[in-house]
Amino acid sequence: MGFMDSIRSVLGISAEADATRDADPEDLFGMSTAYLTMEADLGFESVGAAALCFSSVDSTDFEQTVEEVEAILQAGEEETGTTFRVQEDSHGWEWVVLEDDDPEDLVTSIHFAADEFIERGYGSRLLAAVFGFERDGDRAYWIYSFRRGAYYPFAPGRGREQNDRVLMKLESVLDGELSLESDKEYWYPMWPDRKGGHPWQ
Amino acid sequence: MDWKPDWGLRGRMALTMFLLFALYIVFIAVIARTYAVFLPLVAVFMFAQFFFSDKLALYSMGAKEVSEEEYPQLHATIGRLSQQADLPKPKVAVVDSRVPNAFATGRSQKKAAVCVTTGILRTLDDDELEGVLAHELAHVKNRDVMVMTIASFLSTVAFMIVRWGFWFGGGNRDRQGGGVLAAIAASLVVWIVSYLLIRALSRYREYAADRGAAVITGRPSALASALMKISGRMDQVPQDDLREQSEMNAFFIIPIKSGIISRLFSTHPSTENRIERLRQLEREMETA
Repeated sequence: MGFMDSIRSVLGISAEADATRDADPEDLFGMSTAYLTMEADLGFESVGAAALCFSSVDSTDFEQTVEEVEAILQAGEEETGTTFRVQEDSHGWEWVVLEDDDPEDLVTSIHFAADEFIERGYGSRLLAAVFGFERDGDRAYWIYSFRRGAYYPFAPGRGREQNDRVLMKLESVLDGELSLESDKEYWYPMWPDRKGGHPWQ
Repeated sequence: MDWKPDWGLRGRMALTMFLLFALYIVFIAVIARTYAVFLPLVAVFMFAQFFFSDKLALYSMGAKEVSEEEYPQLHATIGRLSQQADLPKPKVAVVDSRVPNAFATGRSQKKAAVCVTTGILRTLDDDELEGVLAHELAHVKNRDVMVMTIASFLSTVAFMIVRWGFWFGGGNRDRQGGGVLAAIAASLVVWIVSYLLIRALSRYREYAADRGAAVITGRPSALASALMKISGRMDQVPQDDLREQSEMNAFFIIPIKSGIISRLFSTHPSTENRIERLRQLEREMETA
């Protein structure tokens, strides 16, 4: 904990400061090469979908921002064929879900959407970008945390347990290529609502 | 969406802490000579209080840590709010009580626990519960348990000197009489003044946690309506149920009322004041 952090917590404003920290969308491009490594070295293929999770703000300006994001993705859909939808999950968090067979387009669209939120001053509402992979029925995800500015893996196993072997494999192979979250206490799982679904389902 | 920092609140909080700090320095200087032999004991006591605070709080409330299987929705909500607040996920505990309440404990962010009563889970809807949980996480983020433990520790020592000072005159036999009387008089003053300062500090921490919660969830109004709901329900609860819980008041989101407590002595600001401040945030958000 740095000196300024101590001051902030003594003054009782760390919660406020942290919840409004700005995200850096440039990290998202690291995912373009990670897609290649995942397939070439680990045999994990893209599930053809990625998603952006955000928490909404109860204001008119925020609603307009979401509409703006939709307009941008609509334009992208005509150009690259990346389809999108905006939905809410059972915990009350919102998702922009993108589908495309080309991972490159997924990364670009996620970046467009995230960038628009940040431009409009809502970077602090972005929670995570989630990229899905699959190998012989095993699922694995790379989650980019906007709060931490780092990636971490998520590998749902049986029930509510993570597949530790896959986690470790992902961590060791992609370390260095992606900026990884070193503190495992922040490797938050994002469980899907229904069995076999994606976190955004 | 830029939240304006509340400089008034920060200023008052800093001033209160400065006064407490100054008071304690004078206090230590006055009592150090009379009670020097007890200093190691005091240090051990403080250490223990600090390190066991989380377990003590949960234990004294009859709280039980719950797993993800038992309360998946609660775990998921706390998990994502922690993510939003850049915190490691705290332990989740539940108290079986129909009094709607919640509190956070733990000396550090990694040792934190968020505890809710079954009553609050039943009373609030999802958005409101989210607001309350974010308020508790803001306490964790702001390290309120640590700040308040440190702030109130010397006040406890002063109280003990007032009470037991005559029996434990200190090591120096020759100087006993006058020295002990002076130390006890000083302790009494320190105890009263620090009590008021700590209460004020505690109220400011509540406002700060409300702000933090509003910023984390993006919905000041949800927390406001939760506070209204809980405080409304609290009034209907018979007092008898609550006696044993009164010590924990400082950590509750809404303290349990016990007859006439003057404004000066309460740990929490009134619900009306808190709601008014949340309304201000709501306005700020819409007009930004």
